[in-house]
Amino acid sequence: MTVSLNEVEATAKKAARGAGHTWGMAEEAAKATRWLCRHGVDGCAALARLLTTETGDIEQDALKRARVWRPVSAPLCPLNVGASMADLAHELIDEPRQVGHVTCPSLLIPFAADIASKTGKTVALSGAGFTALTDGETLNLVGQMPYQADQLVFHTTASPLRPNGVFSRSDPAKPDWAMLQELAHRTYAPATEASRLKGAGAGMTDND
Amino acid sequence: MRVLLRRLAGEGWRFSRPKFEIDDAGVGYAVYTATGPQRSYSLVAFAHDLPDDLRSDRVIAEAWDATFALFDGVPTDADIERLKQNVPLQEAGRISERELSLSRANRSVRLWDHVVSALAKGHQPDTDMLDQVGYLMRTTAVYGSGKFGAADRETICNRPELSPPFQVEMLSVYLTRAFVRDLVQHMARIKGGSAATTLDQSIAQRLGLGNSTGLGMAPFVINHPMLFNNWIMAREEAIRRVRLIARATPDDIHLFKDRLKRSELSVSRWVSQHPIQIKKIASLTRDLDRVSGRIAQHGFHMEFPWDALMVWATSQLSMEGQELLASLILEPYPDLVDPLANCMAAAQSDVTSIDGAMTIAEMRHLLENSFGWAFDLDWQSPQNCARAWYVSEEKLEPRLGERFEEPVAPYEQPLAPARDATSAFHDLKAWPDTSNIAEFLLEHPEHRHTVRRAQLSRAAPYGEIRDNTISADVLPIDMLRAKLSFFGATHFDPRSDRWVRICMFAGAPYPDHLSKANAEDWVFPQVAQ
Repeated sequence: MTVSLNEVEATAKKAARGAGHTWGMAEEAAKATRWLCRHGVDGCAALARLLTTETGDIEQDALKRARVWRPVSAPLCPLNVGASMADLAHELIDEPRQVGHVTCPSLLIPFAADIASKTGKTVALSGAGFTALTDGETLNLVGQMPYQADQLVFHTTASPLRPNGVFSRSDPAKPDWAMLQELAHRTYAPATEASRLKGAGAGMTDND
Repeated sequence: MRVLLRRLAGEGWRFSRPKFEIDDAGVGYAVYTATGPQRSYSLVAFAHDLPDDLRSDRVIAEAWDATFALFDGVPTDADIERLKQNVPLQEAGRISERELSLSRANRSVRLWDHVVSALAKGHQPDTDMLDQVGYLMRTTAVYGSGKFGAADRETICNRPELSPPFQVEMLSVYLTRAFVRDLVQHMARIKGGSAATTLDQSIAQRLGLGNSTGLGMAPFVINHPMLFNNWIMAREEAIRRVRLIARATPDDIHLFKDRLKRSELSVSRWVSQHPIQIKKIASLTRDLDRVSGRIAQHGFHMEFPWDALMVWATSQLSMEGQELLASLILEPYPDLVDPLANCMAAAQSDVTSIDGAMTIAEMRHLLENSFGWAFDLDWQSPQNCARAWYVSEEKLEPRLGERFEEPVAPYEQPLAPARDATSAFHDLKAWPDTSNIAEFLLEHPEHRHTVRRAQLSRAAPYGEIRDNTISADVLPIDMLRAKLSFFGATHFDPRSDRWVRICMFAGAPYPDHLSKANAEDWVFPQVAQ
């Protein structure tokens, strides 16, 4: 069953929220997952795995613009790292940044794309057996995305892009989609008879 | 609606009904195809035999009188078979990238029965009764843009005919209205046999297609600040252009007076049982008298006559009257106003990338600009945060709960931008003006959605509702009306504080009679000569 990219985005947002992210970060998760699916990378698999993996905070050094972002304990969350990197895009133009132990690193790619859009440069994310090049709109992914990576580098590059294709649908594996839906479900309030009638303001007949 | 019909007529779209396979019990399917210069679109309609006890306009319903999909192109028999397995199930089924929308409709039982009986006996239905209800069926949801597997808007928005927002949905509704007319005629013929007559064209034209809209539409207004901004901006620009006209010609004045008179008739046919709306219609009726009186007294001979009229209106008319007048002054100037319809789509996503280099001082300024009015409200007071928007587990229906009476707060949706902006503004106080917002967000990820909205407000100054969306006296119907009015909906009829019925395409020519001559002024009923 293929799903529309709007379904991917809506489900990803709710799933990230259901897994405990803030609404703003859930929006980032949704946008990133959609971006990956559009560019032929299985974003749903990456997000489902991420949201069921324990992650740690970024070392406070990051706040002081450290060149290497390391986790305090468990692996870093690519959404937190990616969003913060993209927020700081203006500082990354000429200075490569390294990211320590991070899980589901494919979810960093959409943020690399965001940095590329903001700076007008091609951005490379590389390490752990893969290189992702993006100018914001397109993606050139070489190598296999690992589940985790110990050392990744964000940097701008003059390398030419040979874009992969773009897709208007996604075909997530059933268990991944089910996991995202299960997490999304946590954002729904259990119904009561009172809320059923009151919450949507019904109670009149529609046989008129 | 008028944007759609203007295009269909202007480009000479052709309409056909390649299939009408409905049996004597009123069950079956039909296909209605609209063909334009480059592409065709087909409404695939399924008619069902629905017991009265299952008829509900609520999202939680599971069966309907009729169900529909708008197909991209002309469906093959295999497509129809696939849709037959899914469309009648609505949310419980799946559609594909070949479909652009999914919808359903229920009958107005009393009008349906009356029209079928009358036509079966060989006479026309009672027009007073027709005007009381206004439609034979009402849609209870029209889903587009990727919902339930349909094609995403992003895949079709570059087609000129679908570039203005909601044209897919409007086309679906327009073709649905034709199907409903044909179905009621079919049922009358089955019932009356040779005694049955044909529904008079002019009577059929008075009928619109109804629509029941619930709370689900209210979050849409908050969640699409860029799109909504563009709608309001187009409206404001249209009004500005007309108010800048120095002299009105006799033709302009004649046309305005005609539309004003016909609006009086339209308002006189506006029926609502809701106390708030009854009052509003009464004051609107008085307002229309005042407008006529003012015109009789002062005419249009002054400089900038439309501006003078609008300035007068602000002190003399209710909000209803001012709004109607603002739309009526646009009528004589299609060349100035109509092209603005092309500015109403949102090219930019509502979830934009955050500019982390922005200073704290600038962020404070943006928040203050949109939400300064809210900073002094006591957000702990039950009156100001009595409600919480949430999504129910049951059929994922958006609902509005009582924060202090129901256990819904943990499930609250981010639909209180004013409260959230106040909270972000408070936390920003401790930060130096020159720090950047990226650093603030590292410490305060909970304000990320608020910072994003605030930055969006630079490009979307009309993107925020300047009111409290969770107060004890919030009226969700006002949010629904704001959106529905841009569709061109008429006869807004609140059924409670949180759901409404409206009418669409009432007065419009049917596809088989649509022409450039009648594509524009149908929204104003004809006054008997």
